[in-house]
Amino acid sequence: MTSIRLFFLAVLSIVGVASTPAVAFDGEKALHEAAKKEKELTWYTAHYNSETAAALCQGFEKKYPGVKCNYVRTTAQVAYQRLAQDQKAGIAQASVISSTDQSHYTKMKQDGWLQSYRPKNLAELVDAFRSFNDPDDLFVATAAGLVLITYNTSVVAASEAPKKWTDLADPKWKGKVSIGHPGFSGYVGTWVVQMRKLYGWEYFKKLELNKPRIGRSINDTVTMLNAKESIVAAGPSATTLESKSKGNPLAVVYPEDGAILMVSASGILKNAPAPNAAKLLMEYLLSREGNEVMVQQHQDPVNKHVKPMAGGKSIAEVKTIRPTAAEIEKGIPEVKEQFRETFGI
Amino acid sequence: MTDAAAVARRWRHLDKSVFVWLLLIALLLVLVINPLARLLWASFQHPETGAFTLENYAAAYGRWRYIEALINSLVVGLAAAVLCIVFGVPMAWAVSRTDMPGKGLVWAAVLGTFIMPNYLGAVAWILMAGPNAGRLNRAYSALTGAAAGPFNVYSMTGLVLVIACYSFPYMFVFTRSALDLISSEMEDAASTLGAGALRTTLRVTLPLALPAIMGAFIVEFLEAIALFGAPALIALPARFQVMTTMLWQMFEFPPRVQVAAAYSMPLLLITVFLFWLQYRLIARKGYVALTGKGGERRLVRLGPWRWVLLGYCLFVTSLSFFLPMLVVLQAAFARAWGRGFSLDNLTLRNIRFVLIDQPATRTATPNTFVYAAAASLIALGLALAIAYIVARRLVPFGRALTYVAMAPFVIPGIVLAIGFYAAYTSKPLVLYGTAWILILAFATRFLPIAYTNSDAALRSINPELEDAARILGGGRLLALRRVVGPLLRRGLAGAFILVFIPATRELSSAIFLYTTGTQVLSVLLFDKSDEGNFEVLSSMGLILVVVTVVLVLIGFRVVGRDFLLRRTAT
Repeated sequence: MTSIRLFFLAVLSIVGVASTPAVAFDGEKALHEAAKKEKELTWYTAHYNSETAAALCQGFEKKYPGVKCNYVRTTAQVAYQRLAQDQKAGIAQASVISSTDQSHYTKMKQDGWLQSYRPKNLAELVDAFRSFNDPDDLFVATAAGLVLITYNTSVVAASEAPKKWTDLADPKWKGKVSIGHPGFSGYVGTWVVQMRKLYGWEYFKKLELNKPRIGRSINDTVTMLNAKESIVAAGPSATTLESKSKGNPLAVVYPEDGAILMVSASGILKNAPAPNAAKLLMEYLLSREGNEVMVQQHQDPVNKHVKPMAGGKSIAEVKTIRPTAAEIEKGIPEVKEQFRETFGI
Repeated sequence: MTDAAAVARRWRHLDKSVFVWLLLIALLLVLVINPLARLLWASFQHPETGAFTLENYAAAYGRWRYIEALINSLVVGLAAAVLCIVFGVPMAWAVSRTDMPGKGLVWAAVLGTFIMPNYLGAVAWILMAGPNAGRLNRAYSALTGAAAGPFNVYSMTGLVLVIACYSFPYMFVFTRSALDLISSEMEDAASTLGAGALRTTLRVTLPLALPAIMGAFIVEFLEAIALFGAPALIALPARFQVMTTMLWQMFEFPPRVQVAAAYSMPLLLITVFLFWLQYRLIARKGYVALTGKGGERRLVRLGPWRWVLLGYCLFVTSLSFFLPMLVVLQAAFARAWGRGFSLDNLTLRNIRFVLIDQPATRTATPNTFVYAAAASLIALGLALAIAYIVARRLVPFGRALTYVAMAPFVIPGIVLAIGFYAAYTSKPLVLYGTAWILILAFATRFLPIAYTNSDAALRSINPELEDAARILGGGRLLALRRVVGPLLRRGLAGAFILVFIPATRELSSAIFLYTTGTQVLSVLLFDKSDEGNFEVLSSMGLILVVVTVVLVLIGFRVVGRDFLLRRTAT
């Protein structure tokens, strides 16, 4: 009886390995044991929506039993604000921080809030994302996404849809375009910096003639498209594809002049109450299992062995563009001002 | 006679309740003045050096854009408060004083409106009155054949309408409580002198309710200018800023807390002015309606007009509750709400995700209601005591306490949260990371509602009732317990609910004060509001509304069934 069960288990594990090769990393066991003593960790994350954060925490707890994962999902600005409060009050709450705003990492590094750790799974990170890692191992890239053109398929035919960013300024979309606000969203801020770099501020003056509907987060464009209040947008890949997978009439266009690549990092806090569990979570976010969970949630994978979900293209197949880190840090405060001048808010 | 004996004698004759008052006043000062003083101090502090400076004020008012946002807030606040009178007062009168049918339905719809968070209502309104695809506009086009409908939620008018829809319940409840206490004797006197029903209502009944209406007007105004959710969803796409959206930008990275503090300071002056105005307008008149002489309350017979009035009540509650709720229900049970309603589009998956798969909701749901209940008890107890101290002039400078009790309302929640944060992260009282910081923040934030309500309730009780108890030898505390308490019980149950409900949906102060174990539903909802996942957002909103309704109904049961449909007041 026992031997039969063992045999089945062995078969199952082989099958399991065949579909998702679970590669253990050096010292995984020891790290897991040390993390178990810490019992739980808190993770401030702005990388995904709460469904994805919940799914990743569940996956993490399944892979590493005995370590509880508590996520606090907010926007990047709020995540940073909370962390700053904690630091100022001398309260150690979060062990891992995942912001989408590049300047937060520069500041956290400067203020000495982060501790260095080089994940063993870093070897499997998509090569194109390596340049986003900190040379001192204080933070590494753990999430990627695209800003691209999105539209409502029940109103706009695929052949009619905009093909490149400049098409959004076509008068035929007057009153029908939705965008986010760089003052609220790091994704939008990066998109605006890149558009200014490509086409100059003239691009936004022309876009303003179309009277775009301006939300806060880039995800607000998804709501606007679903409501048909707008029918074309500069939107996010993950949330749009997730909404589409539920059956909403949405589609994405990978712009000919390039989709904006957003890569966001995570780091371990120096005062982390659960440093070992934190390291384990960083490993998980780079692991194949973790990335498969991300893909199920329509997030782009950062592990090079994990294929993206049907309906979306792998980032490697898409023409992507991106301002440099320095351009983003210098550019976002500038474009916020320009944006307010041009659009009046 | 020795000195000791003299002291002992004076002690014996001293009204011991004075210590209770002093203790409560001290508590009020700690709760309100402490965070506000820290805020005031911050507004004069240099962000880096901490030295005294006026730079923050220069930064906060040095730009036309910032001042324009303040003006917009004032316009929105005034217009919304006026609209609240138009919505709330006729409904309150209809439910309280007339023989209009369907009172239970109207009252339930007002309750539903009050429970619905304004940010959820705003999203629903965008779907109903969006200029391109709003359902009302599409219906209009279908009916008239016009190319576009007339409604545009993305406008100043749209914002005012949405804000008024979700704040008029204050006006309704305040006015109704006052009307319920007015005896028909006064109206009879008017009738005897030859006044018709309309004239009696306008010249006698409503003026008697004036203190309550004015109190509510101020609350509506302050609520409207301190809201963040609805303006963020409507004002930004409509291309204008209000004070709170401007403040939000000041908390962007790098946050400029000091400038934000300076920016919100003048609002305190506006509040002080409004209360001074209220005081001037009603000071010399008598509004005592509840006396020891009893009195009968009869309903005004409206004849066919009662159907017109019911129609008006249903129109207003359709705008605020029924239509938005339809949108929320459709989305909460839809696989893909962008497809509209159809049988194959129905699912329980969203509800299941919220209730089962998302661990955060499981802790946030009990937190929300426990914190709200604790905060309501604290706010109400304190407010009642302070209102009593002021009304009976138990201490000198009592009126100043009114300003203190009302001050928290005018400080936008996000800014108040910063004051709280500053006050409770350093010694002697370290509360950050515990549930208490949220409970005290909610209690402080809604103290003004508790206060306005307690004040109005006390004003309507003639002091002679207490005096009777005291003449018969009872102390003040006895008079309070045996006379004032029972007379106020119903009013206080209403006041409790008035604090409890907004505390369950309070967002702006919670967002900076919660920690991992102390999340509440409003925070989860807000995080959902920019995730583009309207199906799950609606499910969570629905759960918040349903649980609150159930709790409130249980509360009504406990207080007494007639609270729900109080046709005649005691």
